[in-house]
Amino acid sequence: MVFKSLEGFLFFDKINLMKETVKVILNRVKKKIERAKNLKDLEKIFQEFLIKEKGLKKIEEKKREILKKKIKKELMKKAKVFKEKKKIFDITLPGKKPEIGHLHPITLVKREISEIFQSLGFSIFEGPEIEDDWHNFDALNIPQDHPARESLSLGKTIYLRGGELLRTHTSSAQIRFMEKNQPPFRIVAPGKVFRREATDASHEVEFWQLEGLMVGKKISIANFKAIVEEFLKRFFKKEIKIRLRPSYFPFTEPSFEVDISCVMCEGKGCTVCQQTGWLEVGGAGMVHQNVFKNVGYEEGKWQGFAFGFGINRLAMLKYKISDIRLFLSGDLRFIKQF
Amino acid sequence: MIFSFNLLQSFFYEKLPLPKELAKILTLRIFEAEKGEEVENDTQLKVDVLPNRPDCLSHFGLAREISAILKLRMKPLKFSRFREKKKKKGNIQVRVIDKKGCKRYTGVEVLNIEVFPSPTFIKEPLLTCGFSSINNIVDITNYVLISLGQPLHAFDLDKIEGEIVVRRAKKGEKIVTLDEKEYILDPEILVIADKKGPLAIAGVKGGKRAEISEKTKNIFIESANFDASLIKRATKKLNLETHSSFVFSHHIDPNLTEEGLNLCLSLISEIVGGEIQKRIDICFEKNLPKKILLPIASVESLSGVKIPEFEIKSILKSLEFKIKKEDRETFSVLVPTFRQDIFSKEDLIEEIVRIYGLEKIPSILPKETLILPKRNENVFWEEKAKDILKESGFCEVQNYSFLSEEDKKIFKFSNLIEIENPISKEFKFLRPSLLPLLLKNVKKNEKFFREIKIFELGKIFLAGKKNEKIEKRNLAAILTGKEKFFELKGVISILAESFGIADLWFDFFKPTPEGTKEVWELEKSAEIKIGEKEIGFLGKIKEKVLKSLKIESEVFAFEIYFDEFQNLAIEESEFEEIPKYPAAIRDISLWVPIDVLSDEVVAKIFDAGPDFLRDVDLFDIYEKEEEGRKSLAFHLIFQSNEKTLSPEDLNLAMEKIYQELEKKFGWEVRR
Repeated sequence: MVFKSLEGFLFFDKINLMKETVKVILNRVKKKIERAKNLKDLEKIFQEFLIKEKGLKKIEEKKREILKKKIKKELMKKAKVFKEKKKIFDITLPGKKPEIGHLHPITLVKREISEIFQSLGFSIFEGPEIEDDWHNFDALNIPQDHPARESLSLGKTIYLRGGELLRTHTSSAQIRFMEKNQPPFRIVAPGKVFRREATDASHEVEFWQLEGLMVGKKISIANFKAIVEEFLKRFFKKEIKIRLRPSYFPFTEPSFEVDISCVMCEGKGCTVCQQTGWLEVGGAGMVHQNVFKNVGYEEGKWQGFAFGFGINRLAMLKYKISDIRLFLSGDLRFIKQF
Repeated sequence: MIFSFNLLQSFFYEKLPLPKELAKILTLRIFEAEKGEEVENDTQLKVDVLPNRPDCLSHFGLAREISAILKLRMKPLKFSRFREKKKKKGNIQVRVIDKKGCKRYTGVEVLNIEVFPSPTFIKEPLLTCGFSSINNIVDITNYVLISLGQPLHAFDLDKIEGEIVVRRAKKGEKIVTLDEKEYILDPEILVIADKKGPLAIAGVKGGKRAEISEKTKNIFIESANFDASLIKRATKKLNLETHSSFVFSHHIDPNLTEEGLNLCLSLISEIVGGEIQKRIDICFEKNLPKKILLPIASVESLSGVKIPEFEIKSILKSLEFKIKKEDRETFSVLVPTFRQDIFSKEDLIEEIVRIYGLEKIPSILPKETLILPKRNENVFWEEKAKDILKESGFCEVQNYSFLSEEDKKIFKFSNLIEIENPISKEFKFLRPSLLPLLLKNVKKNEKFFREIKIFELGKIFLAGKKNEKIEKRNLAAILTGKEKFFELKGVISILAESFGIADLWFDFFKPTPEGTKEVWELEKSAEIKIGEKEIGFLGKIKEKVLKSLKIESEVFAFEIYFDEFQNLAIEESEFEEIPKYPAAIRDISLWVPIDVLSDEVVAKIFDAGPDFLRDVDLFDIYEKEEEGRKSLAFHLIFQSNEKTLSPEDLNLAMEKIYQELEKKFGWEVRR
């Protein structure tokens, strides 16, 4: 550089000095901004350099404004970063579970059973819980002093003051229905039944049964087998085998016990089926002609099958519930599981 | 009943399957059975003989079944020859007074016997079957009992005074039995008596007076048939059951008395000796074999499987039924007298099918016209109600149908149906309401859950005015916590809506004589009505009741008479056109006296408003108790079907409403 005069030299220096100062100041501020930890720090820098103009006074006004604009730009950039950090969304926080209600497992099982039978063409019929001796015993071919009135579990009857009783089985619903309807028909009659006995893990005072009744001109044991197999297959949602064993009920002839291949061990043997591979599901048989006579049907005209399954029992098998007393316990820790 | 495997085996030439295997076969063909314990050389077989097969309450009877099932040939009963005197020489006379109670009575004197222990072949099966061995005479009678199923009784002949009478006991007559117990008798009980009094409780137990002892020299053996119901009632009355009474309480074949006596005499002659006198046989009813006609086609028709004719014949024959062909399509079947359970052709078909094998019956779906079933109204509406309560966050519980003595007092219920034979005090009555047990549910769950929201839809029971028994359904729900009245009210409103019930409303509580006032806190309770009909209650449960039940929380509840509720339900919901023109909302708030009901204000706003005022929604209440007034704020929703409402339309409508409310009722509108 050739300096013509000392003033020229000094002037030129002044400009260079200014240029230097602006650069230096900007870098210094930039570093400060970088080191800033939060919006508050940035606020301090803003106050210092853009309001109080620390160290900027010596810079000429026009250039000062440009410098301040540059500083502001850097401040805004950094501020944006801080603001975005604040918006982090913690997805790992627990969700707000809505308080949903629960239906009783018996209701759920009853619904499922009813749906299956309805799809097989069965109507649902309900008989009364308070019954009389005739509908609960006599009409079903169980007269007084008949050994069956005592020795079958029918002997444990709850009587009411006045002579009526609480039905001991849903079979009384058969009579109620047939009194007012002519064959052919197919019905299921779910309902509560009552027994006068001590409660334990597998016995209760009141529980639910499902009565089935199908009457026509040629209804046979083979038809019964098919219907029951279809029902159990759909209810347990797996291929199952059934087995009929001879039994005795006064209101059916022939009579059988119905067993299903154990749903826990598939028939191999376990504690649930007591190593037999079979589980009892209920009783059944071909309706006794005396029962038809008692409801006023023409003699010899009709034949059909009837069955009685325990709904609590089916629920216990399906949901692996171990104690029948849970159903009437009112314990929400039980009910909320369904 | 417990059977001796060895004794069963003694009836067959061939070897029977092992006990475990035999039990399995019996389970599939006749009775549930299982292998029991091993007793010395023998094994127990536990068999659940069905109540209609008393002919199988004996080893011979069961062997008969096994022979038919396994197609094995049976050995005949071993009858050694015995000599019975031809002319009547005995001293004893027998008179049967109760002919209905005793259809047949056979008896015989045996003189000059000696009492000593029994041989092994008699003792062993008795021990396996749970009998004790007493002496040769008694053991033989028990042996006949388990072999043939005919109970016998042996008396010491020299202790009998005068003739033997079979009669009803006199009231207050006493007897001391073999095991030294005294029983007081009455005319419901049949006895074998002599001049001195009862010698035995007929068919049940013998008396000590004429018991067989070591000194006995002469005996009288009784082999009789007694009426099943009579014996059954006696065992119940006296609380005394024996193996004999168990057998007699079934209808056993009267012809068996003869066989039983013959076997007994043959064994006595073989083991004991003595002189057998001529027997007495008093018989009122000859038990003749029954004849039943069996149409051959009916076997296939009832079972669904075609069993060949020859097989039907062979099965029935193996069970000792006699078969003849009546005509081309029918068999004529003669039923042996030991089968007291066979009456009809269905009974025969059962025999055929179970021996043939139930597993051989195929599964065939019925070929009948499928008429789609009509829906069950009760089930439909019940399920709907349950779903709504579930969707509102409630849990369904099920409780017992009973009410305890204690709860009756706490709730002061009346018109209850009482249980005649309750299991306990807890089950003394039938429940007239779902609330008591629902409250007990609250108590049980309080410690585990902060808020309890439960409901039950079930039957309640009441005694009507003429003492008739009424059975109907109620729906009740409980919500614990502070100030839950309106929350429950909302649930009831949703129920009513979904049931299509338009005129459900809430009236102030007027306690009814049914004592419901004991349950509800009057000030925070209401009667639920549809039109003028009361269909239930809603409100806060009284502190007093909660205290008695030791419940900590505050409890709100409702109970609805569900039968009545359902009867008023309408299912159709019509699709409503979505409005074409937008709605406009204007707010209004006004000061009213503090005791004016919000219902009233809403009604008056509607009255004052135009047709296109669709809804009046209360959204704020501010009470100034000291000034005796409150401020109610409403959203007024206007919507027209014909046009978009202009600001002028709305202003006009609002002005009219303001005018009317201020002028007519003096309510201050806050503008």
